[in-house]
Amino acid sequence: MKKYIYFFESLSIWVGRAFGWCILILTLSVTYEVFVRYVLNAPTVWVFDMMVQMYGGLFLMAGPYALAQDAHVRGDVLYRLFPVKAQAWIDLTLYILFFFPGMLALFYFGYEIASDSWRYKEVSWNSPARIQIYYFKSLIPLAGGLLILQGISECMRCILCIKNGEWMNRHEDVRETEVDLIRKARESEREAEVLKNR
Amino acid sequence: MTDPQVAIFMLSLFIFLVLLGFPIAFTLVAMGVGFGYYAYFQADNLLNNRIFYLLNQNTYSVMENDVLVAIPLFLFMGYVVERANIVNRLFFSLQLAMRHLPGSMAVAALATCAIFATASGIIGAVVTLMGLLAFPAMVKAGYHRGFASGVICAGGTLGILIPPSIMLIVYAAIAELSPLRLYAAAIIPGFTLAGFYMIYVITYAYFKPSIAPKPLEEEVPPTRVIIVQLLTSFVPLALLIMSVLGSILFGLATPAEAAAIGASGGLFLAFCYKSLTWTGLKQSVFLTAKTTAMVCWLFVGSWTFASIFSYLGGHAIIEHWILGLHLEPWQFLVLVQLIIFLLGWPLEWTEILIIFVPIFLPMLDTFGVNPYFFAMLIALNLQTSFLTPPMAMAAYYLKGVVGDQIELMEIFKSIFPYLAIVIFTMVLMYNFPGMALFLPDYFFGIGK
Repeated sequence: MKKYIYFFESLSIWVGRAFGWCILILTLSVTYEVFVRYVLNAPTVWVFDMMVQMYGGLFLMAGPYALAQDAHVRGDVLYRLFPVKAQAWIDLTLYILFFFPGMLALFYFGYEIASDSWRYKEVSWNSPARIQIYYFKSLIPLAGGLLILQGISECMRCILCIKNGEWMNRHEDVRETEVDLIRKARESEREAEVLKNR
Repeated sequence: MTDPQVAIFMLSLFIFLVLLGFPIAFTLVAMGVGFGYYAYFQADNLLNNRIFYLLNQNTYSVMENDVLVAIPLFLFMGYVVERANIVNRLFFSLQLAMRHLPGSMAVAALATCAIFATASGIIGAVVTLMGLLAFPAMVKAGYHRGFASGVICAGGTLGILIPPSIMLIVYAAIAELSPLRLYAAAIIPGFTLAGFYMIYVITYAYFKPSIAPKPLEEEVPPTRVIIVQLLTSFVPLALLIMSVLGSILFGLATPAEAAAIGASGGLFLAFCYKSLTWTGLKQSVFLTAKTTAMVCWLFVGSWTFASIFSYLGGHAIIEHWILGLHLEPWQFLVLVQLIIFLLGWPLEWTEILIIFVPIFLPMLDTFGVNPYFFAMLIALNLQTSFLTPPMAMAAYYLKGVVGDQIELMEIFKSIFPYLAIVIFTMVLMYNFPGMALFLPDYFFGIGK
């Protein structure tokens, strides 16, 4: 089971990170647009669609990544106080009851909508450039599918936790500065303690 | 059960699930889909319920929302600036430049927090970085520990108020207000609050010099060094922020465009400080992806949730109930702010904004409250959500990095004066709505 978890998680993380690079394209293209508009007086027609698509792809496809890293906000005031096994039971139940229906809807009906869009080669009406948007719409079922896979892996985590009594570690990843700094402070404290006890 | 009762049940069930600790974005999706299925139920069409299309439509409208585009861009700018090794220069140069003021280090810490949080918009990073940097420096200089910790927590939290802030973009998307006007509206309240914090710190240090001793003369480097430090740290960052803000206020760019310029500027700044590394860039990109996903998936859920909630008549019944209380507009405002303040104890700003604020928004017209004025009251109020226990994130971040040097209770105690200042500023703004409304009217003309 661990293998599956690691595989799904690596997949989610890899996809999320790959789409993460959209931010760089987004930054550079919008900066370029502002430059050509004010300095060269020649605004582009494609920038609006480019902007929206880069951002949309970025957040949508990073959803499974955030789930794999437990980065979605939780109101965990009480949750943290529960024993570990109870946490796992709660999560497992809630995932099965509440997570999958919505994601299946995104996957299945998103697929239907996207295939319609492919059929008549839908384009955007935001600008005369009329950029294609059927690729963009296909991201919805894709994200839904990835979230389902990631959700299965989260359920497996819960089952393992119920069996072993502790949460399995998550993949190492970049952490927010505050989390990183706090962790470092803890580690250096622990080292100081060890040195003192020697 | 009648439909409005179902809606209230939906809200209660949602709050219950959130308390159980399920990721909020997916709880919202689940409630929207589950109750939407009930709302659009057709016995002859079990698998083809309208809610499934609605969910997809809502997802798509979040994807092509041109206000929310600014979120990843501002986040990216923040992560890049955070990694540019700029805080320490900023703090030490400001502190030396202000050495003649009472409590100079505390004032400098506040100023650093305000400027840096403005550029980065991420509270936790500011508080921890300053906790590692300014806190030990202040303690070493003989400052009272509690005093020093309060300054850092309150200062770090300013970043969600002073534009360009991510919270205001989120608010604009929720309330369908113009993000440009919101930014203009937040400038005076933001700087007033920062100013009050500084006045408090200076007065306190003036009357009780023992908590904040003056720096020793022999430790002060020559003026030339201080000026060079200021020119290389304070000036570039201030210029970056001012160009972002200025281009928004003078109508030269949309928030998204200004944010992109800010992010490019951040990259350039990091390059000039020789701290633009491949690792740093990768970290910024990945963190941007994760945090954007967190915020925007909340929107996917909340738009679905809200449309079903109001379709079932949930908004109407709450509105009916509040109107039934026959409140004066000021009583309504006080009631709402009180609720938001109390919600800030257990919850954080994202949850409050996305879930609870939309409930009150439709009532503003009835009470004749200007939506931008209301937004500023909420924005000020949300400052407290970082500072009130048990979920005082600012205090936890600080405690996390400084460890045993200070007790959590002492941090809480030192935060209380700042809470009072926030509330005082809200009262002040209530009496002078011009604080929020003057600049937007000035820059963008009178109107909505």
